[in-house]
Amino acid sequence: MQFKTFDIIPHDTKFDFVGKRYIAVTLSLIANAAVILWAVFHGLNFGVDFAGGTEMEVKFQQVVDPASIRKSVEDLGFKDASVQTYGPESEHTYLIRVGRIALMSQEDVNRVVQAVEAKFPVQGTPHFNLDVGDKIDFQFKGTPPTPDQLRAAVEGAGVRVREVRDEAGLTAGTRSFAVITQGIQDKIERDLASRFGAAKPEVRRVEYVGPAVGRELRNQGFKAILYAMGLIVVYVGLRFDFRFSPGVIIALVHDAIITLGYFAFSGREFNLTSVAVILTVVGYSVNDTVVVYDRIRENQARFKGKKLSDLVNHSINEVLGRTFLTSFATALSLVGLLVYGVGTIFDFSAAMMIGIISGTYSTWFIAAPMTIWLEERAERKKVAPRPEQAPARAAR
Amino acid sequence: MERNWYVRVALITGVLLFSVYQLVPSWFYFKLPPDQRNGQQYDQSVPSWAPSARKHLNLGLDLQGGIHLAMGVDVDRAVKAKVARRADEIADFLREKKIAVEASAPSPDGTRIAVKTSDPRRVESIVLDQYGNELSAPSGAPAGTVWFAFKGKVIQDFQAKAVDQAEKTIRNRVDKWGVSEPDIKRKGNNQIQIQLPGFKDPEKAKELLGRTAQLEFKITDDESPVLDAVRGEVPSCPVEQGVMRTPLPESGCWSIEGVELPGGQQRQVTFIAASTRSQLDAAIEKVAKPKLQPGQEIGIGEGTVGAGIVKERFYRTYLLHAKTELTGDYISDARASMDNSQGAGKPVVVFTMTPEGGRLMEKLTSNNLGRRMATVLDQKVETAPYIQGKISTNGQITLGSNRPYQQMFEEANEIALVLKAGALPAPVTIYEERTVGATLGPELIRKGTTAAFIGLILVVAFMILYYRATGLIADLALVLNGLLVLAIMAIIGSTLTLPGIAGFVLTLGMAVDANVLINERIREELRAGRNVRQAVDQGYDKVFWTIVDAHVTTLVAAVVLMQYGSGPVRGFAVTLAIGLVASMFTSIVVTRAFMDYFTRGDTTRLSV
Repeated sequence: MQFKTFDIIPHDTKFDFVGKRYIAVTLSLIANAAVILWAVFHGLNFGVDFAGGTEMEVKFQQVVDPASIRKSVEDLGFKDASVQTYGPESEHTYLIRVGRIALMSQEDVNRVVQAVEAKFPVQGTPHFNLDVGDKIDFQFKGTPPTPDQLRAAVEGAGVRVREVRDEAGLTAGTRSFAVITQGIQDKIERDLASRFGAAKPEVRRVEYVGPAVGRELRNQGFKAILYAMGLIVVYVGLRFDFRFSPGVIIALVHDAIITLGYFAFSGREFNLTSVAVILTVVGYSVNDTVVVYDRIRENQARFKGKKLSDLVNHSINEVLGRTFLTSFATALSLVGLLVYGVGTIFDFSAAMMIGIISGTYSTWFIAAPMTIWLEERAERKKVAPRPEQAPARAAR
Repeated sequence: MERNWYVRVALITGVLLFSVYQLVPSWFYFKLPPDQRNGQQYDQSVPSWAPSARKHLNLGLDLQGGIHLAMGVDVDRAVKAKVARRADEIADFLREKKIAVEASAPSPDGTRIAVKTSDPRRVESIVLDQYGNELSAPSGAPAGTVWFAFKGKVIQDFQAKAVDQAEKTIRNRVDKWGVSEPDIKRKGNNQIQIQLPGFKDPEKAKELLGRTAQLEFKITDDESPVLDAVRGEVPSCPVEQGVMRTPLPESGCWSIEGVELPGGQQRQVTFIAASTRSQLDAAIEKVAKPKLQPGQEIGIGEGTVGAGIVKERFYRTYLLHAKTELTGDYISDARASMDNSQGAGKPVVVFTMTPEGGRLMEKLTSNNLGRRMATVLDQKVETAPYIQGKISTNGQITLGSNRPYQQMFEEANEIALVLKAGALPAPVTIYEERTVGATLGPELIRKGTTAAFIGLILVVAFMILYYRATGLIADLALVLNGLLVLAIMAIIGSTLTLPGIAGFVLTLGMAVDANVLINERIREELRAGRNVRQAVDQGYDKVFWTIVDAHVTTLVAAVVLMQYGSGPVRGFAVTLAIGLVASMFTSIVVTRAFMDYFTRGDTTRLSV
C-alpha cells in the first residue's frame, strides 16, 4: 500500500490558469486601483507611530460608555480625539487617541511670540523647532517674567502649556524658559480618574510619538519595503533569470498593495507592525512564485518546443498541491493568533493571512502568466523590425 | 548505514543538547516570579554547571512593562548658547586688552557674534590671534562692526560632543537609579533611545531624563540681610536638641546657619525650609521674592536631618547673586578622590576646567575669595563650598567634615556626577515615549503563548494527518527548531516581544513549508515510478535550492526590517530571521537523517 495518504488537490489537475489571466489581471487591477485610490483619497488610519500623537490604553473596572470618554477628552480641548473599544467588550478596555492638536503651528508660535514680546523683555528671536513642534525657547534680559507669568501670557495667546521649564540663560544676566505644550496623557489620565473614579481607570499603555519621529518612521517604513522588494528581485534575478524579474516585481507589488488593502478598507490602525506584515508578506509570497518559476525552468529544458502557455499551465498544475499546502500550513499557524490576538496582533495575523492568500493567487494568476505575456512581447519586438526572420524561426 | 549518516546524527544530537543546555538559565529565569527575576535570587538559582546567568531569554518592554523613550538633543540651542557665551568672553577679553568696544553680542539668528567697535581692523586681528583656531571673521559686516563665527568643523564637533554628553548624562542618571538591564543607545544623529524595563514611574523618568542638566556657578549673597525679614512672616523651624526636627510646617519655616564672610567675621544667615519642593516654592513666592533686590535670586537646595541611616530630606533656600558666573560646559572632568594632605585620607571632589574655563574661574575665585560658590544644577543648589583659594584649571571641593567616611565618599561621588552632568549644555526633548504598565504584560504573555500553542498544535496535527509518519518526522524536527530558535535568542540576548511571539509562530508555519515541498516532491517521484530510496534522495536533492531560495527571500525581508524597526517590531524581525535559519537546518538536515534511517533497507513502503 503505497498511497495510504490522500491529496487535498488531486495531483493530475489540469486547470487552465493561463486562459483565465485576462479576467484575473482585470480583477487584480481593479482591486489594486481600489486600494490605492482609497488610500490616497480616504487615507489610511495611521497609528501614532506614523501620525504622531498620543495613544492610551485604558482599562476600567466596569462598563463605561465610550462616547462619554470621548466627551471628557474633547472637553479638555482635544477635538480630534478618538475612542474605541479594545478587545472584547467584557474587558472594558478602550483605546484613546489624540492627534496633533497639542502641537503648535507656525502661526500659533508667531502669535505666542508676539504676545510674550509685548509684555516682557525678550532677547533675540525665540527659538522654535518645527520638528519638535511643542517647545518654544524664550530668552529674557533685564527683569524676566516668572514661569507663571510666562505661562499666563502664552495661554492668553491660545496655546496650552504643559510646563514652563526654567533653563540656564545663554549668557550671564539672562534667563531662558522653555515653554512645552506636550504631555497630554497626564492631563487625560487625571481627568479620567476624577470623572470615572468609580470605574477605576487604569492606564495600561501609553504611546507618544512626536511629529518628526512619526514622519521619519513613515519615510523609513516606505523605504524599507522598497529596499526589501529591490533586494528580493535582484536575488531572484541572479538565481533564475532576469526575464522572470518583471513577473516577480508585479507579484510583489500586487501582494503588498492587497495587504495594504486590509488596513485601508477595514480602517484598522496602520503602524510599525503593519509595515512588518507587508515586509513579511513581500518576503514570503515570493516563495510560491519561486517554486512555480523553478518548475517552469525545469520543464522548459524537458519539453523543448512546447507552447509556452501550455508549459506554464502544466508547471502550475504540477506544483499546485505544494503551492496550496505551504500557504495552508503557514496560514494554519496564524489561527491561534487570530483567535487570541487583540489589537495589533489581530491585525498582524489577519493582514498576514490576506497576504498569504494574495501571494498564492498572484503566483497562479499573475506572476506565471506574466512570463507568457513578456515572452510574447519580446518575441513581437524582435519580429516586427525584421520580418524576414520570422519564417526561419517558425521553421525551427 | 553510511558513515556520513552517523556524522549527521551526531551533529543533530549535539545541536539538541546544546540548545537544551543554553536554555537552562532561561528555565530558572522564568520559574521565578517576575519581581525577583532580575535580582540576586535569580543569580543564585542558576546552577554552576549552566551557562552564564546573564544569557537568558529576555522579555521585551511590551511583555514585562517598562518605559521606552527617544530623546532628541537640541543641538541648535547648544550652539546658540556657545555663541552667546563666546560673545561675552570676547567682550571681556577686549576690555582686558583696553580696546574700546561698544557691544559684543550674538546676532539675532544666533549664529554670529557681532562686535561693535571704533576700530574693527584691530579687533578682528586681536580676536583672531586669540581664538583663530575656532573662529573666523566672515565678511559683509556693516561699518563699525566685526562679525565672528565658529568654523563649521568646530560647530560639528561641538554638536557631536553635546549629544555624547547628553548620552553620558542619561547613562549616569539611569545607572544611579539601579534599573536592571537598561538599554541606552544612539539613534540617528541626535537621538538617544532609552529602554527601562520594569521601570514603573514614567513621570519620574521623563522629568529626570528630560530635564536639562545645565550647571551654573553662582556666588551666594551671604552679606545681604533681605531674608532676615521673613522671620516675621513664617514660623521658625522646630528644633530639638539643637538640630532641626521634621516634619516642618506646611507654610515653610525659617532657620539660621552660621557662615563666614570674606573678612573672617561670622554671620547668621536666615534661610527658609520646607518638607516638599512645592511647599518651599509657594513660601518663596509669597514671602521671599517680594523682598529681593535687583541682581539677587533664590536658589533651592536640599538638606538632611539626622545622622543615622534614615535621614529626612528637606528643601531650603540659598540667597544668590543672580549672575551666572560660569557654566558647566567649562568643566572638562570631575571625580571623587582622596585628599591625603592632612594625614588621614579625606574624600574630596577634584575637577578640571577647560583652558578658557580656567581663566574665567581664576578671575571669579580671586574676586570672591572667602565667599561661597553655589553649584547650581537645574536651578537646584547642589553644594555651596567656600572659595578658599584661587582656582584656575584644577580645583578641589572639600566636603564638610564630621560625617562618616562612607557618607562623605558618596557625597563626593554625587557632586562629581553633578559637575560632569553639568557639562551637558543642550536641552533634550522627548521625541517618543512608550510606556507599558506592569499589569498588561502577564496578560499578553498568557494570550500570546496560548495563541502560539494553538498554532503549533494545528500545524503538528495537519502534518501528521496529511503525511502520517513523514509528517511526524517533520513535527519532531519542528520541536527541535523551536528549541534552537529560543536557544539562539538566549545566546545573543535578544528579547521576546509580543510581535516576536507572532514571528515565532509564523516561522513554525514556514518551517513545515520546507517539509511540504520535500514530501510533495517525494510523492511526485514515487508516482513517476521510482523506488522509495530513489524518491527520497531525489526529493531532497531537487527541492534543496527551492527551499534555500524560499528562505533567503523571506530572510531578506526580515533583515531589512531589523535595520528599520526598533523595540517590539525589531523583536519580530530578529525572531523571524533566527527562525528561518534554524528552519533551514531542521527541515533539510534533521528530517533527512530520519528519512534515511527509515528507508535504509530500500523498502517499498513509505507513508508520505
